[in-house]
Amino acid sequence: MRSLLRLTFYLKRYAWSFGFAVVGMIAARGLEGTIPLFVKLGIDRVAAGQAAVAGGTTDAVSATSALLLPALGIVGCVILQMLVTIGYRIAMRRIGVNAAFDLRNRLYAHLQRQGPGFYARFTIGDLMARAINDITLCREILAGAIRMTLILLLTAIIGVIFMFSLSPALTLAILLPMPLIGLVAYAYSKRIYSRSQLVQEGFAGLSTFVQENLNGIRTVQAMAQEDREIERFSAVNQDFADRNLNLFRTTSFLGALMPILAATGTLIIVSYGSVLLDRGDISIGTFAAFFSYLALVLWPVREAGSLVTQWQRGASGTVRLFEILDYEPEIEDRPSNEFPDLSGRISVRNLSYRYEGKQRWALDHISFDVAQGETIAIVGRVGSGKSTLLRLFVRLLDPTEGDILLDGHPISGYPLNFLRERVCLVLQDPFLFAESLGDNIAYDDPDRDHQEILEVARAAALNETIDAFPEGLDTVLGERGVTLSGGQKQRTALARGLIRRTPLLILDDCFSAVDTETEERILSGLKRLRADHTTLLVSHRVSTARHADRILVLEAGRIVEMGTHRELLDRGGFYADLERAQRNRTGSEEATGARSMAEVTR
Amino acid sequence: MSEIVDNAPADEPLDHSIFEADIEGQAMNMQYLQRILGWARPHRRTAAVSILLVLGASMLAVLLPVVISRVVIDGIIMGEPDALLPDFGMNAFNEAIVRLTGLSPLVSACLVYAGFTIACHTLYHLHRVTFSRTVLASLRDMRRDLFAHMERRPSSFYDRVAVGRIMTRITNDVQALFDLLMGLGMLIGEFVPFFLGLGIMLAIDVELTLYLLLAVPLFWAITYFFRQATRRVYRAIRNTVSLLNQNLQENLSGMQVVQLSNREARNLERYRNINDENRAQEVHAINLESSYGAFMDNMVNMALAVIIWVGGGNALQDAISLGSVILFTQFVDMFIRPIRVLGQQYNILFRAMASAERIFQALDWHEQVREPEQPASLPSRLEGRIEFRHLTFGYDPRDPVLHDVSFTVAPGEKLAVVGPTGSGKSTLIRLLGRFYNFADGTIFLDGIDLNRIRAGDVRARVGVVLQDFHIFSGTILDNIHLGNPAISREDAIRAARMVHADAFIEALPAGYDEPLVERGQNLSQGQRQLLAFARVLAADPEILILDEATASIDTETELLIQAALRTVMTHRTAIVIAHRLQTIQEVDRILVLKDGRVKELGTHEELMAARGVYYTLNQLQFQDVGLKPDAH
Repeated sequence: MRSLLRLTFYLKRYAWSFGFAVVGMIAARGLEGTIPLFVKLGIDRVAAGQAAVAGGTTDAVSATSALLLPALGIVGCVILQMLVTIGYRIAMRRIGVNAAFDLRNRLYAHLQRQGPGFYARFTIGDLMARAINDITLCREILAGAIRMTLILLLTAIIGVIFMFSLSPALTLAILLPMPLIGLVAYAYSKRIYSRSQLVQEGFAGLSTFVQENLNGIRTVQAMAQEDREIERFSAVNQDFADRNLNLFRTTSFLGALMPILAATGTLIIVSYGSVLLDRGDISIGTFAAFFSYLALVLWPVREAGSLVTQWQRGASGTVRLFEILDYEPEIEDRPSNEFPDLSGRISVRNLSYRYEGKQRWALDHISFDVAQGETIAIVGRVGSGKSTLLRLFVRLLDPTEGDILLDGHPISGYPLNFLRERVCLVLQDPFLFAESLGDNIAYDDPDRDHQEILEVARAAALNETIDAFPEGLDTVLGERGVTLSGGQKQRTALARGLIRRTPLLILDDCFSAVDTETEERILSGLKRLRADHTTLLVSHRVSTARHADRILVLEAGRIVEMGTHRELLDRGGFYADLERAQRNRTGSEEATGARSMAEVTR
Repeated sequence: MSEIVDNAPADEPLDHSIFEADIEGQAMNMQYLQRILGWARPHRRTAAVSILLVLGASMLAVLLPVVISRVVIDGIIMGEPDALLPDFGMNAFNEAIVRLTGLSPLVSACLVYAGFTIACHTLYHLHRVTFSRTVLASLRDMRRDLFAHMERRPSSFYDRVAVGRIMTRITNDVQALFDLLMGLGMLIGEFVPFFLGLGIMLAIDVELTLYLLLAVPLFWAITYFFRQATRRVYRAIRNTVSLLNQNLQENLSGMQVVQLSNREARNLERYRNINDENRAQEVHAINLESSYGAFMDNMVNMALAVIIWVGGGNALQDAISLGSVILFTQFVDMFIRPIRVLGQQYNILFRAMASAERIFQALDWHEQVREPEQPASLPSRLEGRIEFRHLTFGYDPRDPVLHDVSFTVAPGEKLAVVGPTGSGKSTLIRLLGRFYNFADGTIFLDGIDLNRIRAGDVRARVGVVLQDFHIFSGTILDNIHLGNPAISREDAIRAARMVHADAFIEALPAGYDEPLVERGQNLSQGQRQLLAFARVLAADPEILILDEATASIDTETELLIQAALRTVMTHRTAIVIAHRLQTIQEVDRILVLKDGRVKELGTHEELMAARGVYYTLNQLQFQDVGLKPDAH
């Protein structure tokens, strides 16, 4: 519940609207309570008129004119109440919409500041759910639950005040069953809430089943599993229907129970009211007006239960949302004075990294230097620390111990923007956006000109791909557009990195899905574009690594070898073994590379 | 779907784009409704009971105000039950009870009221339960039929249509029909008492009732205009919300790229713009909704003024009783609710009609692999000879992927298929799995035309291991035997052992009974491949087709996989799309495909000696590229 208090920030931000809404609500309830008074007046005048006409003291026409006041009173109240209601509803709902707007922007900006630790902890699906559902819940709290709570309270209070002014005795009598009705309503809304959760879970289960099944439809059919899958689906489907029926039975039962319990109020008016009427304590108009007031006070009593669950849902939504918004970005950005441009000279000092909750060092106190313009290949087994090392250079991770110095300064001293403008990491998994091919290549700056894009595309051996599309660089990628092959994706991601011409370029196994012929072209493209710039590249292939100035071999987080291709072969260590293994695998003495025969195929 | 329907000849491409089209809401379509109700037919008895129940309940519901006004107020309090005004036998009923029990008329009236209330709401409850039972059962059946229908669409269908499109039809669209039918039920529950109440009011005071009825067209018109006005706004809101979600989803998926490209500020700006547009539309909707809602909520009370003025006037002229005036005030709510509910259902109706269109679109899509009219019967064990004879095939017949492909694989032979992307390798093996119709050319299996064998029979003899290893939810064991009763637990375990999957399986907490969830995410890529081998080995097909995975797998697992592959291929004809040189060494012959044509076919040595495409491919990989990224 404490998390709900944090939403008061938004009430304060929109305090004027909120104040206006509260005043409006009070006025509207007052007007609503006045209407039965005019009804009472009208009925009393009809009764009096009937008596007078029967007694011959007046005629029907003049008695009817006495009804003008109550009728016009009702008209006036209705119109005023309507106008006031429009005003306060708009005010309250706008608070909700504005708060949702603010929360969305805040969440988006916040998510963009988070590092890999955060994204390892929260899945995208989870974050999407929070962004969609939990912000909606917060909005419903602000625009809905707060409004309903105030309205129900005001309605009950004002209703009781009006009733009390007409007949304290009858008021007390009909209030008697109210606590019972409220309790029953509350108990049932809790049950309804838990059952509707079950229905939602059932729906999620159904969706997951269908999605998994259709994603594997080829296997299902290849294995002739259709009938079995349909049978399994029927079970999930039946379960979902059962959960629904359960929910409906409960809601329907509450729907029946409530008016039956409420009828006790009607019976109290009818029985005790007639006695009071008989005694002359109340008029026939009062008797009739109490039916209206009963409806007025019953409403909050009935709704209180579902309102409580709405608050509870809202509270859990705000907890989930603020759990994200309170998460401190793991990478601390330090706005700092201007630095001259970087040359790309690296020195790594005692660099270590250990993942949270792990015993083992992913990188174990490594040191090395790279001169400006050098190309270093990094080789090692899966899990030897290659990717960790690369991520440290762009501060997707911060070292546990040690430092990376760029041009003699530790990278943590540079502002994050400055650093990432000058150090470019191309990831192994080539993520492309559902935009045009050109926009994907010029992702860092969409205003780059065509020529520039085409030039790097050529260097990344992507020009033929572009030429093959009728719309060239404007070809839209993604679900609504063209799907690229794995190799084409990697080349696009490479072009996206190359176009930035950063002093330091880092490639994380970017050619794994590129065929040999193409890789050759890319390597020559790289050579052309990055002649004076520093490049680090990870590769599994000796055939790629051998072209680097020096090769760095990582094993279990340590540098086990470092030197030129020749030096390492002569040393007869890990690299030499790797070279031999890859050569042997081809079964050919002249072979030096084991690689995929072709690009990734479907 | 036992009958064989082919809604398009093979040479006329089907237009799959209809599955991508946005279907906006549309007006009530009686044909659709009729079709939907077709699923309710088996449950029509429950539905009929439900309708009877609502009739009974509504009758009691409209009599309740009569008990208060005509019996209690007119009869007991005012002591003048105007005999000329109808009371639907309520006064007589009450007097009968008084005579029978000796209770005072007031107590008796209270009991009648209580009894009617309980009976009325019990009937309503039973009506709602039976009604939702009917709807749930009907749509459960519809959903199952839809799923079963989609489950049998061929690969050529799923090549063109995104899985998400089909998924939402089975889940959300059926749900929208559920809302529609439940809404219809609600309307019945509102309209029946409305008409009964109208009858009572007309019987008592025609003039007053007619005045009140004037409100109906007014409210109707306002509801109509409101719905018209909000339609565009709601659509704009839906669009902006889905844009917001798309934007966020994509940004989250590519977060590292975003951060590494320093795009945060620009992306936030873009998101903020959509958000701004969304807010503007939401505010627009709020203005409309608040005005309409306040109008509908409050204008009802205008009726009270009319009742006091007109009804009171009539009472003074002794045309009606005082109780009748009060009766009318109690009917006000019942009068206006159907319109309000109808207004609420309006949007649901639009959405449901669009959903119905999408559902029927899918159900009416009969694309399937053509089955032979007189299927050939297969021997109990095939030898495993495969022959492709002059096969030309394209997903789009105007654009063939394979051109005049002919080759033969002898029983027990292992053939590797290599070639660059787009050369038609995958297509070749998909045709052999009988996933597509083909007409130009023939494939023979042990000399039998493949088109004369039922798809199911082909797939029982041809084991296909695709790159995408689909894990079914269930245990490891379930995933090996796949419910085939011919495979015992021992067989399955033996199969796992033979492909060296036993080491990792036995390391799992529950071993072979370890449940696998969500596409087998608790398994690594390599482990999943081993499991796929175990699965195919347990099924023991005569012919094995394998699309080797390209994903990088660590060396140790790769060795295991190579060993398993060798085991699986033993005593079988095998065709492998090979991506690894090591796999190529395991096979007897190599077929080189390029641009959909067979370029070369022979042993490694033969092809190397021929100095053709295969030789170049090999040379390219092994030659010293002679390039350095850096010229120093």
